[in-house]
Amino acid sequence: MSLVSRLRGLRPRPPAQRGAWDVETIRRGRLSLVLAIVLGLAGLPLILLYSMLVLSSFADRMLSGPDIFEARYSLDNWRLLFEGRLAPASGQTYTTRDILMIIANTFIVALGVTVVVVFVSVLAGYAFSRMRFWGRTRLMEFLILLHAFPGVALIIAVYAVYVWSLRFVPRDWFVPYTVLYTVLARAALEIPMSIWLMKGFFDKIPWEVEWSALVDGASRFTVWRKIMLPLVRPGIAALAIFAFLAGWEDLIYVHVFLYPHVKTLATYIEEVLGTGTETAYLPVVAAAGTLYLIPTIVFFVATQRLLLQALSGGVKA
Amino acid sequence: MVEVRLERVSKRFGRVVAVNEVSLVFEDGRFTVLLGPSGSGKSTLLYLIAGIYKPTSGRIFFGDRDVTELPPKERNVGLVFQNYALYPHMTVYDNIAFPLRLRGVPEPEIDSRVQEVAKLLRIEELLDRYPGQLSGGQQQRVALARALVKRPAVLLLDEPLSNLDALLRLSIRAELRKLQQSLGITAIHVTHDQAEAMSMADKIVVIDRGRVQQVGPPEEVYERPRNLFVATFIGSPPSNTLPGSVESDGGYPVVRVAGSTYRPGEEEARVVEEAGLDRVVVAFRPEHARLLEAPPDEGFDGLSLEGEVYLVEPLGKENIVTLTVAGLPVKTVTPPEQRPGPGEKLYIAVPRPRVMLFDPDTGLNLWSLAEQLAAARRPD
Ligand SMILES: Nc1ncnc2c1ncn2[C@@H]1O[C@H](COP(=O)(O)OP(=O)(O)OP(=O)(O)O)[C@@H](O)[C@H]1O
Ligand SMILES: [Mg+2]
Repeated sequence: MSLVSRLRGLRPRPPAQRGAWDVETIRRGRLSLVLAIVLGLAGLPLILLYSMLVLSSFADRMLSGPDIFEARYSLDNWRLLFEGRLAPASGQTYTTRDILMIIANTFIVALGVTVVVVFVSVLAGYAFSRMRFWGRTRLMEFLILLHAFPGVALIIAVYAVYVWSLRFVPRDWFVPYTVLYTVLARAALEIPMSIWLMKGFFDKIPWEVEWSALVDGASRFTVWRKIMLPLVRPGIAALAIFAFLAGWEDLIYVHVFLYPHVKTLATYIEEVLGTGTETAYLPVVAAAGTLYLIPTIVFFVATQRLLLQALSGGVKA
Repeated sequence: MVEVRLERVSKRFGRVVAVNEVSLVFEDGRFTVLLGPSGSGKSTLLYLIAGIYKPTSGRIFFGDRDVTELPPKERNVGLVFQNYALYPHMTVYDNIAFPLRLRGVPEPEIDSRVQEVAKLLRIEELLDRYPGQLSGGQQQRVALARALVKRPAVLLLDEPLSNLDALLRLSIRAELRKLQQSLGITAIHVTHDQAEAMSMADKIVVIDRGRVQQVGPPEEVYERPRNLFVATFIGSPPSNTLPGSVESDGGYPVVRVAGSTYRPGEEEARVVEEAGLDRVVVAFRPEHARLLEAPPDEGFDGLSLEGEVYLVEPLGKENIVTLTVAGLPVKTVTPPEQRPGPGEKLYIAVPRPRVMLFDPDTGLNLWSLAEQLAAARRPD
């Protein structure tokens, strides 16, 4: 087998059979190569910038290009970050912040959103896929419409409801209530699309599989738990990841409802950049930014295949 | 183990009537085959019996028990779906064990029963695999195993052998029949394969467009089709049909068909007169016609036609000869040594007991028409 044909993924055949090549395979092979190059080029600036950010978090200055060779690297920034000391260079007031608390807050919001989104979408997705009820198609269309609204456009109304609802909340419960409110509001933004995604996954399961379990002696609930749920697990995983990232990254809702009494990574970085740019030691901020990015990077690298599956509409049964 | 009885069962899907006023008895411990073209409502009928669908009207009984409103789990049926419907996330072993686990059968017994049925269907080596890693035929056998393992009172089979190769099909067919008999299960089996139907069935139910066309033992359905649909649906190649007109020969009705005259039997002649038919459809099976070089003797009692050979298909153990008779195609089956050439003029002879006459309007065989007339007369 020659190197060239191996590179192209082709098996050598006698020249007489040239006409019998699997034409489509070759075209597709070339097409995906071209696509990969184009996407790679388009993504290059992004990848470079993020690499700079990550590198800066270990450096003694903000890196901007060739200076990556001059900088000295250490874990100092990360140590400072976890000590909550943002501006050590200024020598003046240290604004110490409890970064662990902030990370915990971010986790609480992100996990809360995940739980709510997954719970609602799995149940609603099943209902939309498997049950006939009045107004089903209308409701499905309405969900798309809801999804089309950007969260920012809704914020005033959501805020109005928030302010109105505060009247009923005892003073002691204020903080937990605001967290709950944020989680629910943020989850609500994700839910329409998630329901559609989940419905798609349930749709892929043939009715006969469900019936078969019924005939085998299962109740409808057992069928749901033992057959349907395991089969849509990839869907649930994808959904959970999207929801977690949405909750983790959210700035607007967290800022409106939780700032400043409960801070998350997003509002924390915003605060540092917004108020203390002169005094802040930027490499530490870079470390905070990297921390903020970690879940995204981890999830996308770890679950590429799963996400592709989810986006192309589900699992093969 | 139980008799299944349908009483005027109908099932509609919106405007589609999938099953239409079906009344049937599936005898206890018998093997009944449902035969019908695609979309005739066979699967729907099985699903009604299994309890997956509720009938729009009518009642279903298992023995004396009215199961019309019971969910599938309370009916103790085994069902093999047309598309197998295995659980993709479970191994073959777990698939087969699933119904037993749901019933809380202890694990050691589950294991022995799974092994037993796996051996029977020759899938022992596949137990660790997932359904996605099996061929169509293997999946079918797993589905069959899963249905059998729970020892159901009623076994419903929706074309369970369609994906097996000819040899395996023959052997599984025989195994299945033996097993069904030894366990005394009431089996209802859907198939397109007529040979399968003929060889396996105690009783055949022919169904078309949601209606039962004929019920009877295989020979009867073959020999005495109740109507034109059954006559042309059962048999391969299907029955020949020719239009005929009724004339009078000195007061006795005779049929002019494709340039010849056929003198019906007295019974049939009586029905023709009673029903006042002026047209009939003449039908006969290809395997019942003989091809002759010369017209049959004077004494020949039956239908004789003159035709020209159009096409000869040699099948090895027999030939299928297509002739044109007065412009209409007629198929006959001849022994391998009789192999006429195209264009040859030949005579087709069908003995009287093999000639079937039908009423063109209702499609009924004349004997069946006579029954209906008698039934219509009875009330007054
Ligand atoms: N869920 C459904 N909704 C609407 N129509 C249906 C449904 N199920 C079946 N039908 C219709 O009912 C009729 C009978 O269908 P059924 O599946 O019982 O046919 P079948 O005899 O099993 O055919 P095949 O041999 O192709 O499997 C068909 O016309 C079909 O289109
Ligand atoms: Mg069917």
